[in-house]
Amino acid sequence: MKKVWIYADIIDAGLELITIGKQLADQLGGTLTAILAGDEKTAQDFINCGADEVLLLPELEPTQPIQDYVPVIVEAAQTTPPEIFLISASLTGKEMAARIAAQLNTGLCSDCQNLVLDEQGLLHMDRLVYGGAWIQTLKCLSKPQMATIPLHRYEKASSETTRQGKITRLENAKPSGIKIVEKRKRDQSQVNIKDARVIVCAGRGLENEKDLDMIRELAKLLKGEVACTRPLSEEKHWLPDETCIGLSAQEVKPDIYIGIGISGQIQHMVGVRDAGIICAINSDEKAPIFQAADFGIQGDLYKVVPMLIEELKR
Amino acid sequence: MDFKLTEEQELIRANMREFAQTYVDPIAAEIDENSRFPAEVIKKLGEGGWMGMPFSPEYGGQGVDYVTYAIAVEELSRSCAATGFTMSVHTGLACNPIALFGNEEQKKKYLTPLAKGEHLGAFALTEPGAGTDVGGATSTAVLDGDEYVLNGVKTFTSNGPVADTYVTFAWTNPEDKRKGMSCFIVPKGTPGLSVGDHFMKMGIRASQTSEIIFKDCRIPKENLVGKPGDGLKIAMSCLDHGRIGIAAQAVGIAQAALDEALAYSKQRIQFGKPISRNQAIQWMLADMQTDITAGRFMYYYAAYLKDQGLPFSKEASMAKLFCSEMCFKHASKAVQIFGGYGYCKGQKVERLLRDAKITEIYEGTSEAQRMTIAGSLLR
Amino acid sequence: MLEIICCFKWVVDEAYLKPDSVGKIDLEMAEYKISNYDRNAIEEAVRLKEQYGGNVTAITVAAPDATKGIKNALSRGPDKAYFINGEGFDHLEPAQYAIILEEVIAKEIPYDLIICGEGSSDLYAQQVGPRLAERLGIPFIGSVQKVQIENKQITVERKTDEGVEVLTAPLPVLIAVVPDINIPRVPGVRDTLAASKKPVIEIAAGDLGKDYAPCLLQEELKVSTMERKCTYFGSEQEDIKAFVEALRKTGLLDGR
Repeated sequence: MKKVWIYADIIDAGLELITIGKQLADQLGGTLTAILAGDEKTAQDFINCGADEVLLLPELEPTQPIQDYVPVIVEAAQTTPPEIFLISASLTGKEMAARIAAQLNTGLCSDCQNLVLDEQGLLHMDRLVYGGAWIQTLKCLSKPQMATIPLHRYEKASSETTRQGKITRLENAKPSGIKIVEKRKRDQSQVNIKDARVIVCAGRGLENEKDLDMIRELAKLLKGEVACTRPLSEEKHWLPDETCIGLSAQEVKPDIYIGIGISGQIQHMVGVRDAGIICAINSDEKAPIFQAADFGIQGDLYKVVPMLIEELKR
Repeated sequence: MDFKLTEEQELIRANMREFAQTYVDPIAAEIDENSRFPAEVIKKLGEGGWMGMPFSPEYGGQGVDYVTYAIAVEELSRSCAATGFTMSVHTGLACNPIALFGNEEQKKKYLTPLAKGEHLGAFALTEPGAGTDVGGATSTAVLDGDEYVLNGVKTFTSNGPVADTYVTFAWTNPEDKRKGMSCFIVPKGTPGLSVGDHFMKMGIRASQTSEIIFKDCRIPKENLVGKPGDGLKIAMSCLDHGRIGIAAQAVGIAQAALDEALAYSKQRIQFGKPISRNQAIQWMLADMQTDITAGRFMYYYAAYLKDQGLPFSKEASMAKLFCSEMCFKHASKAVQIFGGYGYCKGQKVERLLRDAKITEIYEGTSEAQRMTIAGSLLR
Repeated sequence: MLEIICCFKWVVDEAYLKPDSVGKIDLEMAEYKISNYDRNAIEEAVRLKEQYGGNVTAITVAAPDATKGIKNALSRGPDKAYFINGEGFDHLEPAQYAIILEEVIAKEIPYDLIICGEGSSDLYAQQVGPRLAERLGIPFIGSVQKVQIENKQITVERKTDEGVEVLTAPLPVLIAVVPDINIPRVPGVRDTLAASKKPVIEIAAGDLGKDYAPCLLQEELKVSTMERKCTYFGSEQEDIKAFVEALRKTGLLDGR
């Protein structure tokens, strides 16, 4: 019986992995096993959402880092070797996946953007290389075929009904010698646009300085930062120079960039060429920014931005 | 003939590039805009040993050959012509009189801190009435007991306002036009030495340029470099060395122009395609690359001859002439490729064009270079 | 006195990569550099040596012509370098690098601490560090932004998805550092010249005993251009809804 395994250190990410895991398991004609740290209730949730089996990781000492689960997971995977093993690409997940892959003597596709299973049961996995400018397609020659999956790549699986499944408790998370001394949560106040994961960028299309209010609101909803093109900082002084993105200003690498009222001239776009996803809102369908965007909304920004804000508040 | 750079030379280039990208690129536009001397960067250059590269470690230098040193000048200038020039004029013009013609005490006392980058040097030769016509100078140095008394005005002195050590030239025997000028070391703070008007320039604005005024400035006679009357010989020899640096600087500027124009042309879309697909643009880029390569090998050759102890004056002149003229031409082409944007403040090519012009003028105008080259052909 | 190993990779500078006329990767004009985060790793190793005393050994697995990279690394402060070279060693997959590094390190180089960058600037798979630690049987700590050592015990601050963790562990340990940890020094002329005089121990592919066959195989490498394929949306209510959905699906909204 071919098994697809999934592991995520964050429960929500685990539910996302169920979606793809179940799909692969079905394609293989096999079953889905989820490894997770949690209680019986969470395990049952996972089963309801599609897992056929859940392996519950043992409790850790308060000073044990989560990475101490690696030997436990490795042992379980050696006992009942899976065909495919997907792990969530959180910081923790990526580390653990590499260590697990090393112990299992198998290959791992990190930050897999896309995967396709062929008739022979082989995965063809895409990932970005060379600063995001190139896409590498890989296949794994060994078993289990492993990949780390970026957060939110897939929808969270949801449970309609109660399903049956096996829940097993794993044991023995032996201390590795690494001890946690302190944990501190991230401080949200000090962000500059260079570190911003989401950037909402305003351009010439904005008529008045007051219009920046809705840009700020959008940015806040997306937990992002506000930036601008040259005219808004240098000429109009609506925003400080440090928020200006462009050839001779800041170059940024956000996960998401939304250019609003920006035509997309090269001097500016060069500053965001490494962005994960580029979105554009512009009333001119011929605006060059659409050539460089992944998502483009053709429309009046004064109509679109408020609607976007409403939709995100939902 | 081995045209390949050694791995060490390649590493010097790579590390100078890293220095420039780390410390110079972030401030290049600002120091140009504000005509600000980047003292903090010059200090770091000094600490890294970049300000005295060709001089003997015995006197605080790094003992590298001139080719290697010139490569560093090119690479630094690629990021900022003003900073590259500051390094070049300090090493090639201000330090060389002492390094090549100074005595042991002078090398220990003055060259060592200069080569270590602890002091900054200035070369004060040009006067309001004496540019290409060096002999038209009017500054005098009169021996009075154990001191020389300097009087005169020098102009367009690079590093003038910020130097610690000045190397200057004055008539000790105004009657003898060939062997009547002498060379002197004047430390900053010597009474009678003052910094005159600062010049606000078209380009290399971060480099500080000013008049230097000597009014009954007394210096110990030990500060005479070489013998009385050696001044012209020292000046000409050092200018030969300095020209290699300027040629390298010009190649750096041209390379930067090519870098910018190439990148822009690939991304600027007009008529539905990048302008790099247009033959007109392609030809401009091809010409740039060709002249840069030619210029580079010209300054390598001049530096190589110097390293071999062979005469290199003509080669240095030709290199400086060729590199400066092609640099200005191609900086202009680069602005052309950028179109309207290239004409605007904030674009690097706008600065490159303004920086490029001076390379055709200082350390011997193109006309002076042609005189030298023709002179050597027709001797 | 600490024995520190810093691993580095000699990579293509991605700024120079472009597709050729058939869209294949064109490495002809490519320039090479020490992978960005590896510079931080080397810098941290050298700083720790300057602080606590000891030796720093740089190590790399590369193609035979990567001699410039070795010199470059040595100009940044390590005392010596191991150069494990072979044809095609610049295009191995992470599992292979880990096997080769482990063989040489375990056999030849004593260590208290091994420092890697958090990922290489070419492939950024972020696997070599953790794999190598696992193979050597030593603890691994990733995303490290601060290091202190006392009495053969290491204390680190490292980034997590929620914030920061402070951890301790007994040496030997392998850590992967983030670029925030330090600003790599720019080698001056003296260090650059000194690099040529430092010992380089070369190990050829033929000297390796272990089997380092790859687990991963690259099937294709295609360019992902600035000319992105734009998915268009209108400006009606349902279009905006669809746009937000599409954005959520990218996985990059994190938490929304």
